[in-house]
Amino acid sequence: MLELRDIKYSKSGNEIIKGINMKFDEGKVYCIVGNNGVGKSTIGYIIMGLNDYKPGEGKIFLDGKDITELSLTERAKSGISLLWQEPARFDGITVENYLKLNRNIKKEDIEETLKLVNLEPSRYMRRYVDKKLSGGERKKVELASCILLKPKYVIMDEPDSGIDIMSLDMIVEVINHFKKMGSAVIVITHRKEIAMNCGYSYLICAGKVFLEGDSKKIVSYYEKTCDNCGHVNYLEEE
Amino acid sequence: MDIVKGYEKEFEQLVEIYEKNTNDKSLRSTGVATIIVSGNKVVGLNSVKGMHIKSKERADGLVMIDVEIEDNTIIPIPVHLCTGFLKKRGEQILKFNYIIGSNVKVKFKSHCILTKVEKLHHYMESDMYIGKNSFVTYEDEHFHDEGGGVFVETITKMKIDKGSFFSSKFYETKTRVGRISVVMDIELLKDAKADLESKIYGREDDIIDIKEVLRLNGENSSGIAKSTVFATDRTKAHVVNEAYGNAPYARGHIECNEIVKGYDVEVSTLPLLKVLNDKAELTHEASVGRINQAQLETLMAKGLTEEDAAEFIVNGLLS
Repeated sequence: MLELRDIKYSKSGNEIIKGINMKFDEGKVYCIVGNNGVGKSTIGYIIMGLNDYKPGEGKIFLDGKDITELSLTERAKSGISLLWQEPARFDGITVENYLKLNRNIKKEDIEETLKLVNLEPSRYMRRYVDKKLSGGERKKVELASCILLKPKYVIMDEPDSGIDIMSLDMIVEVINHFKKMGSAVIVITHRKEIAMNCGYSYLICAGKVFLEGDSKKIVSYYEKTCDNCGHVNYLEEE
Repeated sequence: MDIVKGYEKEFEQLVEIYEKNTNDKSLRSTGVATIIVSGNKVVGLNSVKGMHIKSKERADGLVMIDVEIEDNTIIPIPVHLCTGFLKKRGEQILKFNYIIGSNVKVKFKSHCILTKVEKLHHYMESDMYIGKNSFVTYEDEHFHDEGGGVFVETITKMKIDKGSFFSSKFYETKTRVGRISVVMDIELLKDAKADLESKIYGREDDIIDIKEVLRLNGENSSGIAKSTVFATDRTKAHVVNEAYGNAPYARGHIECNEIVKGYDVEVSTLPLLKVLNDKAELTHEASVGRINQAQLETLMAKGLTEEDAAEFIVNGLLS
């Protein structure tokens, strides 16, 4: 189990995450929903342990072990992985080498994974992970990379952004693939079609967990209330 | 292959070093056009149909080589230009003059083997004219001594005629640079295209100077000049990219990326764009600094250490 206890995070003197508690079990799919700017991606970065996202207060536990002080690399080695909303580009690195990442991975496994994310291996293996890939293609390569890492916990930050609407089914399929692998999937999204496929959701407002529970109920509440709300500081105004 | 009598040993030594560094065994093949220079002597020559090579060695040490390729010649196998220096110290001065006809397709592979020297000044001046509707590529790879005593100076001036394409790749990434100064000045006529790329890895107290100039003089001509320098330790690197848009619909792009690692590195880049025709379009892109943090974190989030991630990124950039 991955657990966040009383996490607080500030940037440039502004408290962005104001004491959140979350739990994620392996083999289950979770959703983090909320309006733009409420801190959803920040929660993902805090879990992953990115350099500028060390919590000011609170602890993160992985299978009962405190990992709050673990580095980004150490957390990745512990089985946590992040699907970036806008993945970086790399000159001179082919899709094949990017997916291999200095590891011994069979070519057939790479090809199989590319097919899973709707990329034809013969067209993409030798292409570079650079600016010439479209946003959607780059995102699909990143999805393939996450799958090949076989993470225990995968954070998917806006997995549908930059991807054509026709590929939404593929994203749902990938989420189910992770679930079958026994991974915990943490999906950060605005999109109802994706959120409805998750089992449990956390609704974030103004850096706090405002509601949590069954995804269908949370998404329904979000659609009725938050979707039209427009502000991000509900709790503060309250 | 015509090997000059008395120089068989030097020829063998250069070919062996080349094969060891590249795994390419084609230098000995009879079907491959080859020019092999050791020190101030042309030690091996081999030509193919449609190509004429003349060489002259002057008493003052200058080696002059004229390469002419007839119109409508397609050379299917790359032409090898191998220059080496097997003594410990000295100076090597080379002057190449290329005249490439129209409708020619040729690829040059140049290798500079300077792995056994302590102190050397290698100076190479090249003039190249490419006729109409030709397709020419030129790859230049250098292998230098690890002591840093090599000073390489290359000056290339080119004119690319109507409808031709020229691509150049200059790589010095596998061994220490020492000191290097690369100047490439290209004039493009109507519908001509050029794609220049240089990649250099500086170590210890290496000094790197690159100057690439695109003169887009012909209507609808276009060119890209891209330099990548990875500067470590106490390397000093200075890159100048210039593009002149002198004709309607001329398009040019210059790009310089200098990645630094180390506290005593000194790098700079100077782009210059000058438009003399209101229908010409020039752009530039430059970055100087550490390895991109987003790239590092992307790889570290997959379990690579910061060092391994940096190496992975740099290997890609210099590949």
